[in-house]
Amino acid sequence: MNAAEALVMALVNEGVDTVFGYPGGAILPFYDALVDAPLRHILPRHEQGAAFAADAYARVTGNVGVCVATSGPGATNLLTGIANAMADSVPLVALTGQVPSSVLGTDAFQEVDIVGMSMPVVKHNVLVRDPNDVPRAIHEAFHIARSGRPGPVLVDLPKDVLLAECTAVAEPLAPAPVPAPCAAALDRALELLGAAERPLIYAGGGVRIAGASAELRAFVAASGIPTVCTLQALGSLPADHPLFLGMLGMHGLKAANYAVQSCDLLLVVGARFDDRVTSKLATFAPDARVVHLDVDPAEVGKRREPDVSVLGDLRASLRGLTGPSLGSDAWRVRCATWRRDHAWHYAEDGLDGPRFLRALSEAVGPEALVACDVGQHQMWVAQHWQLFDPRHHLTSGGLGAMGYGLPAAIGAQLARPDARVVCVSGDGSIQMNLQELATLSRYGLPIAVVVLDNQCLGMVRQWQELFADRRYSEIDLSDNPDFVRVADAFGLDTVRVDQLEDVPEALSRVAGTTRPLLVHVRLQREANVWPFVPPGAPNHHMMDRSAPQPAVQEKP
Amino acid sequence: MHRLTIDLADLEGALLRLLGTTERRGWRAVAVHARSHADRLAVDLTVRGTGRIDLLTRQLSRLHEVAHVHVAPELREVSA
Repeated sequence: MNAAEALVMALVNEGVDTVFGYPGGAILPFYDALVDAPLRHILPRHEQGAAFAADAYARVTGNVGVCVATSGPGATNLLTGIANAMADSVPLVALTGQVPSSVLGTDAFQEVDIVGMSMPVVKHNVLVRDPNDVPRAIHEAFHIARSGRPGPVLVDLPKDVLLAECTAVAEPLAPAPVPAPCAAALDRALELLGAAERPLIYAGGGVRIAGASAELRAFVAASGIPTVCTLQALGSLPADHPLFLGMLGMHGLKAANYAVQSCDLLLVVGARFDDRVTSKLATFAPDARVVHLDVDPAEVGKRREPDVSVLGDLRASLRGLTGPSLGSDAWRVRCATWRRDHAWHYAEDGLDGPRFLRALSEAVGPEALVACDVGQHQMWVAQHWQLFDPRHHLTSGGLGAMGYGLPAAIGAQLARPDARVVCVSGDGSIQMNLQELATLSRYGLPIAVVVLDNQCLGMVRQWQELFADRRYSEIDLSDNPDFVRVADAFGLDTVRVDQLEDVPEALSRVAGTTRPLLVHVRLQREANVWPFVPPGAPNHHMMDRSAPQPAVQEKP
Repeated sequence: MHRLTIDLADLEGALLRLLGTTERRGWRAVAVHARSHADRLAVDLTVRGTGRIDLLTRQLSRLHEVAHVHVAPELREVSA
């Protein structure tokens, strides 16, 4: 058996059923071994598509995603996807071919130091120099990728190593146990929670990663504590839960941001005080004591020092806190009032992104998966899509990578062939990985790709309108191609939505499609995402449609 | 300035990863001494920066190769 065959066997032994990759010279031995392997290989049209699809596959299944590329440009094309997985703590193993050992370091054809290049954006990486190390390196990569706080691991494999005889045998490593929370820390956390009048839960992506939604819901039910979620945590609490106040932060809901600014205790559950969440850190939750639950010790105190930290398994930590009702009824009433007074009101006439997305969300139902790109439409999905499960929402949060949506939808659909999968993109983002329409078509995936087209880079336009005195610079995309004709050329079904009257048929087509479908929705160029906390302002200084200027507001 | 003593597995790229993480997290490595023995690497690292050293130690401790990070007490809080 050569090392490439041993590599394939190691993947199978890890329980891998699907890999996303793109062949090339240095990785050819792996592709030869793949011919006889019980693995499904998905061929995107760009390595970045492979990495994003593997990322989404991992998010949806909870298993490790696998992507493959050849050396040089193949490997560098994976990098954005690997960085994305790092930023959002996604377990991913990236396998890259490398030039033969004899020419390593000689600037050989398609040689790059991918281990060096990827070092800042991986949890770990390794160049395997001995064929007998291949099985062990693969099992270690999976072990590291899924242990503790998950992340991407890159394994670089020189061609001669893959071709050489491998006699070593290795087995998958047992999962590293997640440390249990310290009882004394839980007691101290309960003490602070019990003393709080106005407690608030700030839930982050760690809830999804830990599979702790059920524990969070049980804790919220028992404690009665109002809850806000980050972009990555949406769905951890059902969208219609009476104690859910919405997403917090720059484009958060007013109820959520007012609650954060007014609470006297913030229970942070698997979140990291990201700058898009806190805005001006010194004024974030200014009156709150902080209890921080996390699995990663390096997140505790990174941006805000907690009064109590509880390290370890989030599920166990939440179970350890579940019991008494906490906080005052007056606080719950206050939060409910904010929720009611700042509920969304949709325009009765006219076609706009928020209204369309809310209707689309209702048309496809609570079991649908939605993959987003990055920009205004991403924030509209976060605000208006009704999410009931955090694994149903695929979005590039930490890295904010345009181009994520379409390959992510592909990964999601392959992971959940039974599910309705919708990709929501913009006219800028969709062109970052437009070639993946061919992948959609090739595998006949019944994904609905919704392109919200405002003929510009909308989020950049919005910033230039609000903070650069309308000095618009390089945001115009009015020379976009006709996306319907492009999709048609790739073999997709298509629908045009040019006016409000076109919406019902489009929704019906999305809900019922059995084939790849592209829905082109023409939007006004001037549409903005509201509310909006201007950079550097406290979170309660929200601009909105009625006050689209930075303004100082009183604390709620 | 702070002086760290770090015990890590002597794997290819380990020292580069250690120093890269240190600098990306906002610290300047001003002196490094690394000594390989058996399969371990013992590193004395002096860093300058304004962040909290305990946070850097936790960030370095996350690295796969790193077994132990210790802040040398005699240099704790020595001004730059």
